[in-house]
Amino acid sequence: MVAPGPLRVVRCGGSTLCGAKAVFSADSYLLCASGDFVKMYSLATEETLRLMGGHADLVTGIQLNPHNHMQLYSSSLDGSIKLWDFMDGIPIKTFTVGPKLLALYALASSEDSVFVVIPKSGERDTFQLVAVKLTKAAGQDLEARELSVILDGVDASPKRIAFGREGEYVASVKEVHLQVYFFKQKQLNRFSVSTAKTKSGNNRFTCIACHPMEDCIATGHADGKIRLWRNFCHKKEYTFSTLHWHHDTVMDLAFSMEGTSLLSGGVESVLVLWRNESDRQKDFLPRLGSPIEYISVSSDGTLCCTLHTDNRITIINSNLRFSKSIQGLIKSKDVKTDLVVDPRTKALVLNGEPGHLQFYCLQSDQQLFSLDIVQRQYIHQAGLNQADLVKVAFSAEGNWLATVEEREEVTDPELQLKLWFYDEETQSFKLNTRINMPHEDHITDMCFRDMDELEDESLILVTAGRDRVFKVWVMVEDTDPEAQQSVSWSCDFVGSYHNYQATNCCFSEDGSLLAVSFEEAVTVWDSVTWDLKCTFCHPPGKIRSICFGRLMCAKYLIGATDHGFLCCWNLLSCALEWSAHLNVLVLQPDPLSEHIAAVSWLSKESSLFVFKPNEPRPIYIQRNLCKEKIKLAAFIPRDEPEMIGSEKYLWLRRSQLFFLTDTQELMTLSTKSLEERLTPSSKQLAVEESLPVTPFSLLLGRHRRQQSQEDIDLGKLVVRNKHEQDSPAVKELLHTPAHVLPSASFLCPIFINSLLISKEKKSDEEVADEVEMQSEKTEDDSDEERDVTEMEQEDTSPMELLGEITCKLSKSQEKELRKIRKMDYSWISAF
Amino acid sequence: MGEFEVHRVRFFGLVPAGVRCLACSPRGGRLALGRTDGAVEIYNFAANYFQEKVIPGHEARSVEALCWAAGERLFGAGLGGAITEYDLAGLRAAHSVDGGGGPIWSMAANGSGTQLAIGCEDGSVKLFQVVPGGIQFERNLDRRKGRILCLSWHPSDTHIAAGSIGALRVLDVCSGQTVQRIMVNYHMRKVTRECVVWSIAFLASGTVVTTDSFGRVQFWDWQRGTLRESHTVSTSAVLSLAVSEKEDSIVVGTSAGATYQFQLLPVKMGSLEKRWVRTKPFQHHTHDVRAVAHSSTALISGGLDAQLVIRPLMEKMQKKGYEAALRKFTFPHRRLVSCARKARLLLFQFSQHLELWRLGSTNETGKDGEVLPLRRVPEHLVQLKSKGPEHIYCSCVSPCGTWVTYSTASRFHLYRVRYQGDSVGVTKV
Repeated sequence: MVAPGPLRVVRCGGSTLCGAKAVFSADSYLLCASGDFVKMYSLATEETLRLMGGHADLVTGIQLNPHNHMQLYSSSLDGSIKLWDFMDGIPIKTFTVGPKLLALYALASSEDSVFVVIPKSGERDTFQLVAVKLTKAAGQDLEARELSVILDGVDASPKRIAFGREGEYVASVKEVHLQVYFFKQKQLNRFSVSTAKTKSGNNRFTCIACHPMEDCIATGHADGKIRLWRNFCHKKEYTFSTLHWHHDTVMDLAFSMEGTSLLSGGVESVLVLWRNESDRQKDFLPRLGSPIEYISVSSDGTLCCTLHTDNRITIINSNLRFSKSIQGLIKSKDVKTDLVVDPRTKALVLNGEPGHLQFYCLQSDQQLFSLDIVQRQYIHQAGLNQADLVKVAFSAEGNWLATVEEREEVTDPELQLKLWFYDEETQSFKLNTRINMPHEDHITDMCFRDMDELEDESLILVTAGRDRVFKVWVMVEDTDPEAQQSVSWSCDFVGSYHNYQATNCCFSEDGSLLAVSFEEAVTVWDSVTWDLKCTFCHPPGKIRSICFGRLMCAKYLIGATDHGFLCCWNLLSCALEWSAHLNVLVLQPDPLSEHIAAVSWLSKESSLFVFKPNEPRPIYIQRNLCKEKIKLAAFIPRDEPEMIGSEKYLWLRRSQLFFLTDTQELMTLSTKSLEERLTPSSKQLAVEESLPVTPFSLLLGRHRRQQSQEDIDLGKLVVRNKHEQDSPAVKELLHTPAHVLPSASFLCPIFINSLLISKEKKSDEEVADEVEMQSEKTEDDSDEERDVTEMEQEDTSPMELLGEITCKLSKSQEKELRKIRKMDYSWISAF
Repeated sequence: MGEFEVHRVRFFGLVPAGVRCLACSPRGGRLALGRTDGAVEIYNFAANYFQEKVIPGHEARSVEALCWAAGERLFGAGLGGAITEYDLAGLRAAHSVDGGGGPIWSMAANGSGTQLAIGCEDGSVKLFQVVPGGIQFERNLDRRKGRILCLSWHPSDTHIAAGSIGALRVLDVCSGQTVQRIMVNYHMRKVTRECVVWSIAFLASGTVVTTDSFGRVQFWDWQRGTLRESHTVSTSAVLSLAVSEKEDSIVVGTSAGATYQFQLLPVKMGSLEKRWVRTKPFQHHTHDVRAVAHSSTALISGGLDAQLVIRPLMEKMQKKGYEAALRKFTFPHRRLVSCARKARLLLFQFSQHLELWRLGSTNETGKDGEVLPLRRVPEHLVQLKSKGPEHIYCSCVSPCGTWVTYSTASRFHLYRVRYQGDSVGVTKV
């Protein structure tokens, strides 16, 4: 077991994908900058295959190495450029440049340099485009200080610089100026559009794209126009034509590979395809969900993808048909709902698209589904008040879902309380009851009485409103015979306290008590008779959040006030047990243990305190959790309790704590070290298994089945086993695109050898060794070494051991695979 | 400052005649403009596009096409079926020759200005020799069905491209035979509608440019009969087309009131491959743009809204200034209103008649900008119809208001107006 290190804060979702344009690799992978990482997705399965971490700050640009399409350059705000082998997820080289890198461009024509945008030293808000010479020296970490300035006064956005046909020129836009620099002629041309505000709005440049074959530059403008510039090598006789469809800013432009069509996108969330640079021939792909931030086109022209502002990636066919969507945690405008856990799927539930509820699966970093709550068409227009979801609550079993939506109006808010029942048949939530104006004013809190053992009829929903009352809603039998459903919800009890606004409500664990906070006071009610039992007050300060203790600590009620006090009351003695001075923003009890997590915000950093209500001393304190303000937190129950060595982290055993920050990044705490988390898993294999069934694979499958049947007939079960072990090699061979394979005569012996029934496993390896160059041998050794170290780390627990064994099996397969792959690449690099 | 009474004369219902055709003189110094009422105007480029001469219209003489030939001689042809030479010194039609092929839709002069080709209603193309003192019929070229709507000579004068309904033809001038016939039908829809080739241009490179009623500007290789490029610029018809002298820029006018410029631009820097690219759209007109012209420094367009718009090309201008300003000729440049000061009368000149009005009057005075109540509303006194097919060239009323006079190209008329109470009598002198 590894010695327990400090808890690490790990980003696990919601990182902005909009740092840079996505890049299509040559063989059906999509690479995206996501926060500090570079993510690799499979285009076939939409799965996240690899997460490449190593940058210390936001990744601002990714580009394939033009001289080796299996390598990727990435730049980051931390001032370094990394070269990755993205197939294996290993950083090959790190070039330290120094200043912040804001954008990255790589060109096929420039042999050993890449282009980056850096802030001009000594001046604020001025940026320049520089060429960085990447030294070819050996070693992993290199310095790249040799910079030469290409363009001055460029914009920081990566969308506003583009390199033209074959790297002949570079064009950059800023405000109302376009500058084009020709490398060969060393000539700089500047053009401007009129600054006068026309009636159609301002015509600032927003993005730029260069035609891949011709001397043509497309620029997007803030008033929605696209200008196609030609003849810009002449200072005077330049000319442009205008395309206009977008009603608002053109966010990004991309030419197709041949340059015959131009793609544009903006806040309308419509992708527009302009054919032949003509105003008349255009096609649309509407309803993409959210504003388009970046557009990129694959090198073979079959696919393009759009990155949206809400962190969604849409993959689109060349004939402008929607193909796939990769979505993790959708970034909504404002998370008004809490972080809620769906008891059924264990998914995290929060605001998604406008008016939708997203169910986000934490394990796979994917959105499970999105439930349309508001059920109204969303109109993309600034300054329009639209109904949005503000509160969500699940019943304990997950059968019932209550949602509150409101429209922000100055005079009277439009409120709706909706109750949804989970339909087993359709496997989704179905609207059961809709209550218009459940309260006169905004609803501040809502909770179900969650009792696992009791039957459905006793389900109670409590809503607290700013209209100074809380309301209790119960299910009633529907007497109307024509009604489609047997039950509906109606109001049962209205409670108030001294005409104060009700701010929070919470049920005790057994459901017998309801605590409702009214500004400065907390009231406790009997949930059967609705009698006021007792009140607590801890002036000064209004109650910000309350919660009951769990399990052993069920007799305690915790409250946090906005004057920076955390109070714990004993319900038996009706007295204050203890209080602490702490500015608590988030108070979150763990449903499976007594622990309660409190997140405070002090002097511009968030700190985490975990405590049990029965003792005033916190169990765990982590200062400086993150720089951002944490808005929401949730405990997610683990599927199986984790083995945690240290006493200190015992509170993490049964559930995991997740936070959502201001910038809507989801974070969690992990006891594992970095190396363990970034498992170079054999996911590659899994992908190939899940590839769609093609006629060829059917044919092959039948062939194999026949073969295995023959094997069984012959009673050679052992042999069949061996054969299966080798099959990845064959599989790899068949799945590799034909154009990257070496000649058939070269491959033939390997293929035949892999099909042969080897007597020993050793002969197999010998064949592989022959094929490999000897230089690979050292790496092989290191591989073996790693195996050994892993063996040493093995735990004595039987369960773990079992895991290791299966792991080892796959490792040998993997090694096999890696050998084949290496061979392929060495062949390519020879050219 | 003295006091003024400002009359709002809203009763002058002049309907200006739309621009029908434009022709730049080969040396580029002058522009001839034909209006739908048959009037011909000459503008001088050198003098800030000054309207130099006006030849008034004639009822029987419409102008469909104008062209300059043999130096500074101006010829016009129209639906009357006659070719007319204009006497630019006498400001009248000098003499006319019947075309002999029904209404003439188009006319073009060859590069050297020695021959005129006309396209007629009956589908024939006829050649006329320009001789001193007139023109002489030379011969007929190959005749096919369908009126010839537009004509263009190849710069080497060996071929003529002619556009008619649904097709364009290339005729050999020497043999008179049709050497190429290209159908320009619109196949995109199920129902093939009639496609009208509105205008045509024959470039030196052998490219024929056509504009048609489907809003397309098409570039054809006449020898192979193939389409090179097609640009759809509008959903409505493209009516007019003009090519610059260097043949690197084209201007087209559409029936939606927009004009577009096409430029022949190199695809790549330094390479010889060039392509026509639609560059600048201009929307200056409210109605059909029936005529465009391309001078060396400006795009000129005239429409049915009677406007003449001269849009200088910025890249050809040396500096910003008066030369580089956009010019719009919305008003007639002649005096159409004459005033009898003492009698408070106004005489309005229309193409075929005159109107005499008495101005309204008031007793009150008011502040600056105030609208005064009228004691007497303006009164229409006399409408005087001119005699004969010729249009009125100029008119005048004497200050006392008793004499009214007008003249046409060939005659002068003088009238005496007598006022007897409310009734008005007019006698011809």
